[in-house]
Amino acid sequence: MKDEFAPKIVGFLCNWCTYAAADLAGTSKLKMPPSLAVIRVMCSSRVDPVLVLRAFLRGADGVLVAGCHPGDCHYEKGNYYARRRFALLKSVIETLGLDSERLQLSWIGASEGPRFQQVVTEFTDKIKKLGQNPMQKKTSL
Amino acid sequence: MKGAILKVTENVANPIINFLEKGLDKKCFDAVLIPVKVPVGNSFAWVLIQNKSLLEDANPLPPVMPVQGAKALSSITRMGKTNKKIAAIMRPCEVRAAVELSKLEQVNLENIFLISIDCPGVLPLKDYLERPEEAMDKFNEILLGACPERSRRAQNDIEWGNESTRPACQVCDKFVGTDLGFCQSDLHIGILGTKDKNIFLIPNNEKGKSILNKMDIEAEKSMDNWEKKAKELMEVRKKKKKEVQERLKFKVMGIDNLLDVFSNCINCHNCRSACPICYCRQCYFESEKMKLPSDDYLMRAKSKGALRFLPDTLLFHLGRMTHMSLSCVGCGACEDACPMSIDVAQIFSFVADNSQGLFNYIPGKNAEEPLSLRIYKEDEFHEVET
Repeated sequence: MKDEFAPKIVGFLCNWCTYAAADLAGTSKLKMPPSLAVIRVMCSSRVDPVLVLRAFLRGADGVLVAGCHPGDCHYEKGNYYARRRFALLKSVIETLGLDSERLQLSWIGASEGPRFQQVVTEFTDKIKKLGQNPMQKKTSL
Repeated sequence: MKGAILKVTENVANPIINFLEKGLDKKCFDAVLIPVKVPVGNSFAWVLIQNKSLLEDANPLPPVMPVQGAKALSSITRMGKTNKKIAAIMRPCEVRAAVELSKLEQVNLENIFLISIDCPGVLPLKDYLERPEEAMDKFNEILLGACPERSRRAQNDIEWGNESTRPACQVCDKFVGTDLGFCQSDLHIGILGTKDKNIFLIPNNEKGKSILNKMDIEAEKSMDNWEKKAKELMEVRKKKKKEVQERLKFKVMGIDNLLDVFSNCINCHNCRSACPICYCRQCYFESEKMKLPSDDYLMRAKSKGALRFLPDTLLFHLGRMTHMSLSCVGCGACEDACPMSIDVAQIFSFVADNSQGLFNYIPGKNAEEPLSLRIYKEDEFHEVET
C-alpha cells in the first residue's frame, strides 16, 4: 500500500482566540487530521510576513495564520493590522508567481472548537490536492 | 502652475549655485546639503556646506548616485529637528525617500527646505568609475537633451532616460519634483523645456513661496513649457515601464526563475545597506534568529539531498520585499550596490508597484498620509480571509 501524502502545515495561532479554540477542539475530542504544527503567538499581528515566508520557503506544505474575528481582538485592532500584512504578503507572493494558495488567514473565536476542526480539515484537504511543497526539494533554498 | 525663471550663464548648475549663495546671504537657510565632487578621485559625496565660498565645487546634478540623498539627510536629522535651517538639493526619488523616512521617524523635515530638481537619470556607478571622463561627457549630452538649442546632436538622439542611464532610471516616471511626479519638495527646479537658456523655479507650497519672496524672486511666470515637456516625457516613460515589466515577468515569475535570477547572490546584503528605506538598526536577517545549529542544515541537506551555502538567499530578498516594498521609491540604489549585477532594483520596483497598488499608496507623495500598514479599515480585504 502506498503511503498517503500527509501535509505538514505550520499554524500561527493567536493566544486569545484560535489557540483557545484549538484547545477546546482537543478537549471536545473533535477528530481532525494531525497535520497542524502549532506556534502560539500573542496576537495574529505578531506574525511578520517574514515568519510565514520562512515556513513556506523551508518547505511547509501550508501556512495558517489564525486569530480572533475582526472586532474581537484582545488588543482591539491587532487582527486588522494582521489582515493588511497578510494581504501584502499574498500580493508579493502572487506577483512573483509563487503558490499563494498554500497560505491561509482565518478567524476562529475562542468558543469555536468545531470551526477550528473545520478550518484545519478543509485546509488539509486543499493542501493534499496541491501536493507536496516544491520548495522541499530545491537545494538552493 | 506658476514659477520664476532664472538665466543660465555657463551651465545649468550656475544659476542654482548662485541661488543657493543668495539664500545663505539672506539667511533663508543656514546650511546647504548638496553633492560635491570629491577632491581626489572621481566620485561625488554629500556635503553639508555652511561656508558660502565652498558652494563653488558643488554639483546639484551629479552623474551618479553613490549615496541616496535621503540617507544623508537621515544621518543629520534622525535625532530630531535641526536647530538651523538646511536646504537639501536632491533628486525627486531622494526627496520621496526622505518623506517616507520622515514617516518612519528617521528624518525630521521641520527645518529642512527640500529642493528637488528635474532628473535626467544617473549613470550606473560601475560605468562611471570605469571611464569617468567619457561618462561625464555622456551625462552632459543627456542633460542637454532637455534644452534642444544647446544640444550638439539632434534632440531625439539623446532623450532623457536613454539606455546609458541605469535601468531603474530608464523606466522612472516620477522624475520631476512637483505634484506631477507625486513628489513633495518645497521648491522644484525645472530644466526641461527651457528653450531660452533658462531654468525654472517652481514653489510647491507656502514654504517654497516664502523663501522666494524673501529673496525677492517673483514667481508669477507661467510654467507651461516645462509642464508640457515633463508630461510628454512622462508618457514615454510610463509606456516603457509597462513594456519592461512585461518582459521582466517572464524572467522572474515562478520559483525556478526566481532561484535562477538570485543564483548569483553572494548574500553581502549591500542592496539592503544602500536602500534608503531599510533603516532598521537590527535587521531580522542579521539577528540571532538566522543563526542555526549545524543539525538544522544537515537535516535540510538530508531531505533535499544537498543544500547551497550561504542559505536562505531567497528568504532575504522576499522578506525584504514584504518589509520595504510599500515605501520603495524605485531609486535604484540597490542595483548600483550589487557587486554581482543582479537586477534587484527592477525586480523590487516591479513587486513594489503591485504592493503599492494594493493600498493605493504612492510613497513620498504626502508626508501627512500614514503608512499603509499603520492604518486599517474595518471592512476591507475580505478576499484574503478564508
